[in-house]
Amino acid sequence: MRSADEKVRALINEAKIETGSAADERVLADALSRLEELRQRRLARSRQSVWRTIMKSRIIKLAAAAVIIIAVIAAINQLGGSGTSNIYAGVVEQLHNARTMTYSIITQTNIESMPSVRVDFAFKEPGYMRITTVDGYITVIDWTQNKGISILPPEKQFIEFEASNYQHDPAQDPFVVIEKLRALPSRADEVLGEKKIDGRLLQGFRVTEGHVINTIWVDPDTREIDRLEMEFPDAPGMSVRMTDFQFNVELENSLFSIIPPVDYTRLEVQADVSKVTEQDLIKYLRSWSAWTKDGTFPPTFNLAALPKVAMEMEKQGKFGEGETSSQQRSADVMQTYRGIMFVAQLPAQSNWRYAGENIRFGDANTPIFWYRPKGSETYRVIYGDLSVRDVAPESLPK
Amino acid sequence: MEDKLLVIRCKRGSKEALARVYQKYKRDLLLLAIALLNDKSAAEDIVHDVLVRFVEDLHRFRLTGSLKGYLLTCVANCARNRNRAASVRAGIATNPPEPSNCGSDDPSVTVVCNEQLQQLSAAMAQLPYEQREAVLLHLHAAMTFDAIAEAQEISVNTAKSRYRYGLDKLRMIFNHEAEK
Repeated sequence: MRSADEKVRALINEAKIETGSAADERVLADALSRLEELRQRRLARSRQSVWRTIMKSRIIKLAAAAVIIIAVIAAINQLGGSGTSNIYAGVVEQLHNARTMTYSIITQTNIESMPSVRVDFAFKEPGYMRITTVDGYITVIDWTQNKGISILPPEKQFIEFEASNYQHDPAQDPFVVIEKLRALPSRADEVLGEKKIDGRLLQGFRVTEGHVINTIWVDPDTREIDRLEMEFPDAPGMSVRMTDFQFNVELENSLFSIIPPVDYTRLEVQADVSKVTEQDLIKYLRSWSAWTKDGTFPPTFNLAALPKVAMEMEKQGKFGEGETSSQQRSADVMQTYRGIMFVAQLPAQSNWRYAGENIRFGDANTPIFWYRPKGSETYRVIYGDLSVRDVAPESLPK
Repeated sequence: MEDKLLVIRCKRGSKEALARVYQKYKRDLLLLAIALLNDKSAAEDIVHDVLVRFVEDLHRFRLTGSLKGYLLTCVANCARNRNRAASVRAGIATNPPEPSNCGSDDPSVTVVCNEQLQQLSAAMAQLPYEQREAVLLHLHAAMTFDAIAEAQEISVNTAKSRYRYGLDKLRMIFNHEAEK
């Protein structure tokens, strides 16, 4: 006869438990949903920590600012070229159908220490816009009042500005931009066929415009845009993705409030980019040369490549310690923003060129940047000592 | 090795990995819970709670021994707490009346046990809870008496005694059944 422990062991070994799918689901459902909840929370935290990491380093912060600027510029300006009156008429009709719109722009540089940056956009008729970063930085523009506000929760500060200072270009209306996106497949250079992305079968089209390769993915059933990927051959690995498009979702008016939160203090900055001038570019060039250990100017002014180049320089230790006060960092970011915006806003007819790579600040004989102001016969040429002269076209550097 | 990978994947939020952990160990976990509580419905609840807590503690969880041992210990802890709560509710210090639905046809209970498990569960139900736990943790979870003592917050000798008394009583139960 078996001993009691042998008998228990035998019963355990021979014991059978059958659980149907209902039982499994009952046991597992909450654990799986809790896992998903925690995963989402961790994702949000990691996004926040990414953003905090980015904002801690001056250079990364500048690069991030540049990336965001590029994303917005790319989204708004690079899609141009089809704004004919016929299309615009169609757009107007479509605009009446969409009261709200949201999407996200995700930028990545393919640089390990600078992960993706996500910015969420929301628009509501007749003229409200809200931009949110994952870290809670919010900008709201109310075109009906021509006013805007930027809210900086980590600093408990806000910036108020006049939206009327920004030039109004109907072609840059966000709803118009989306209509341009929708029109992209009709002039695709390449049809990519169908592909399963995130579990959905989407149809791809590729359109190359200037220095940007656009890949647009469309839902073949609804013909609605699902995502747009922009790649920049001048900056391999860098990409901008517009995604999570939603139309006519309910957006509370409070989201577009331009009333500062209580307990927040006003931050006085020159945020009006419509007034950026050549002096802003010069200040930016001076700042950059002060940040580099050898006093050289930026290696490139290619807006797409600049963040990547800055990150490489940081890795190679080419930047000095510099000023680390938060006030100075804010000023640096704003100066970078304004300097870049000056160049970004120059029309193609300005024929601007940059030649500052490897040139040190103080070199009075070497031109580093030149452009032709609107209506001018001559070019404005900035030299290595940051002096500026008017130069005839035939006397420009070759 | 598979368990370490499963834990890593669970930490990364993989639902498939969590489902695999459940599928891999559900028999052992349910068996222990059923044998301890003699109640399939309560056993389901215990395994449910253990999995949810496992997920919630994943961020600080470090797999030092076996995943099966860890989960079985969690089941034993939950079952002990449940038993204590039931004891308090019943106004009895120990051994509240056993619900004994192990072999029931309750339609809300979808776990089905075979005869051997029902026999084991019925036999265990006749032991004081502490002895039941000592026997099952040693024979099913392969826990040492040191580990059982630590889990039950008792001395090693007490753990051994509980195991021994439990086996003595089981011997009588099995003998009695054999005589029938």
